[in-house]
Amino acid sequence: MDDQPLQKIAISGPTLASLIQRFSTSPSSLHGLLFGHVTPLPLTLSDDDDDTSSSATLLAIVTGFLTSPSFHDSSGTVLPSSLPTSSPLLGWFSARRRSPLRPSMREFSVTSSLSSLSQFSSQIQNPNSISSESSLFPPCIFLLLASPSSSDHHHSHVHTHEYRAFQFRPASLSFEPRSLDVVNIGPAFRGHYGAFAPNSNLPPLDCGPHDSPMISDGGDETMGKMKQATKDQRELNQCAEGFEVGRLSRMMGSEAKNYTEGLEELYQKMLVKIENLSGLVEKSSAMVIEQENHNRKLKHKILRSAASE
Amino acid sequence: MAAAGPENVPPFIAAQLSHLLSHFGLTVKVEQMWSSDKYNSTPLDRFTLLIPYCLDFIKWDVIYDAESPNTAPDVIFSPEDDDFHPFHMFPSSSEPANNCLSDWNYKDPTRLLTLIQYLRDQYVLYQRKRVGEVDDDRLTFEISTILSREGIEMHMSSGAEKSEEVKFAVPLLDMNINKMVACCPWRYSQRIYLQVVYPVGRKYMSVPSAPRLKLVSSPELKAVFSIDDVKLPPWLDGMCLAEYLPNLEEYLGKQVLEAVSLIEVRRHFIEALSSPLGRPVEADAVFCRKATFLAASGVFSFLVHLLIPTQFPKQQPAIMLQSSQHFNSQMAPMKSRVMSDYPWSPRWEPSMMAERICDFLADEALNFKRQCSEGQVQ
Repeated sequence: MDDQPLQKIAISGPTLASLIQRFSTSPSSLHGLLFGHVTPLPLTLSDDDDDTSSSATLLAIVTGFLTSPSFHDSSGTVLPSSLPTSSPLLGWFSARRRSPLRPSMREFSVTSSLSSLSQFSSQIQNPNSISSESSLFPPCIFLLLASPSSSDHHHSHVHTHEYRAFQFRPASLSFEPRSLDVVNIGPAFRGHYGAFAPNSNLPPLDCGPHDSPMISDGGDETMGKMKQATKDQRELNQCAEGFEVGRLSRMMGSEAKNYTEGLEELYQKMLVKIENLSGLVEKSSAMVIEQENHNRKLKHKILRSAASE
Repeated sequence: MAAAGPENVPPFIAAQLSHLLSHFGLTVKVEQMWSSDKYNSTPLDRFTLLIPYCLDFIKWDVIYDAESPNTAPDVIFSPEDDDFHPFHMFPSSSEPANNCLSDWNYKDPTRLLTLIQYLRDQYVLYQRKRVGEVDDDRLTFEISTILSREGIEMHMSSGAEKSEEVKFAVPLLDMNINKMVACCPWRYSQRIYLQVVYPVGRKYMSVPSAPRLKLVSSPELKAVFSIDDVKLPPWLDGMCLAEYLPNLEEYLGKQVLEAVSLIEVRRHFIEALSSPLGRPVEADAVFCRKATFLAASGVFSFLVHLLIPTQFPKQQPAIMLQSSQHFNSQMAPMKSRVMSDYPWSPRWEPSMMAERICDFLADEALNFKRQCSEGQVQ
């Protein structure tokens, strides 16, 4: 069955904050894709299970978003070729300023079109299921962000952002509102951390203990080994800057406990890498914004000249 | 909002909107316009349209984006129509309909009109479908008998606090009133509708109650024919619309014909007045409802305003005098009260009516002059 009801949708605080930040700094409306995964809710042991709630046992967790100006045409038909295939797609969001917090005509069309693309369905992650049969979940989530349309807010310093989340049900062709949990730190959210699955992992490196002093009986093999070593080092460099692959091997096995400072150094280098990356992102974002502003100015110029014709 | 001037609407939106407002078959209004801009109140790229439907209005928000003019506008419908999806009305789609949006051209001023017309047509079907789904035997029967009427519109209103009702707007009289009036100034075709409101039946009611009935016409029609003067025939127990409508239409048709013929009667009356009073200073040449003459009594000159009711000659014209020589403290000319209690008979010939009015004016002029000089009037 491809159309299973969600009980609710969860989004992490930083993801939502970053989405709202992106919306509030954008010069116009914004839309894009939502990524994440779907898991079954842990069973609650309560006696008064009514039928309606027990049928909806799925939780969708939004872990990331990507603003994308053009993944559908102006009639709202999604262009599958413009969707990324690598990440699990949950749905999309639309953020429009000064308009009612109700799905619009085009938003309905886009959601309906997107959720019908079964090739973008994601697997429902089910750690408890023993059988290999796993169900698919179509990209049917729609998150709507809006700011109030009343003019009182115009010159005010208070910025109001409202949001609503929906699951689109293809069978009834309708939006069903879903509650949106903002995942945060605290006892109420412990469950989320229990179910946390890291998805940024180190590449599989050949760092097994090189204990066997192998007799190198061929130049080819050494060449291959060296090649492998540089390749491993390159992959490691993507996660941590300036940490040698060779040192990884010492962190395994019985002697590992003597090298805690080595581990700390690995983390340190990972942080350095992230810091450098964020520096680069910051610089390129500044350039993107500069370019966007420039484009806007050009566009206004074109519009003005078109109007004066 | 001070910024709501037309100069603040981006030119491509202004062109499409003004085309819609001037070429749509019904009177569409813009309720409000505002800007999507976060810091400024311009440019105005969103607005609320009031579109006539079923003798009421539907409110749709049209959302353009001044930042990307190439994109087609989006529409947000009223909260009670949240299951109205104009492009997904019929599942298993053989819908070629998307093309009024998909090849959008913002430079074409007719596009918004095409879109709104399409959406309204879909809305008619949507409401028809909703009403058709109501589980009420009488309603199902009534719909089956009147569905073939051209231009019929229906509306299902349901709210948490309101009881469910189905409203019909039945266009009456297959006559073109615009054509019957010489030199007709009306832009829109004048129609008379019967509004029929059925409460949605509760199963335990044995005798269905009579629907609420009301005649509605376009406001301009009042110049010729006031539907408030029409007494609706009674709705008998167990009656249905198919029985009720033919009698009503016959009766109403006669009334409209008579009302139109009365225009000429009023014209003759104004012409008759001009032999004793001289040519009118001003007169309503189309509907002949108003005429103003200049009169004098000795050296006192004054204007005579005549307001002629649609029921003329059954009802006499209302007369008001306005002095050309006396002004109040605000420098406005002094006026008499509106008089419609002078001697009158609908059976008089127009020349006789004119003569008697002149007699009355001769007396009243002296009164009015005295009141003006004593400052008794406004």
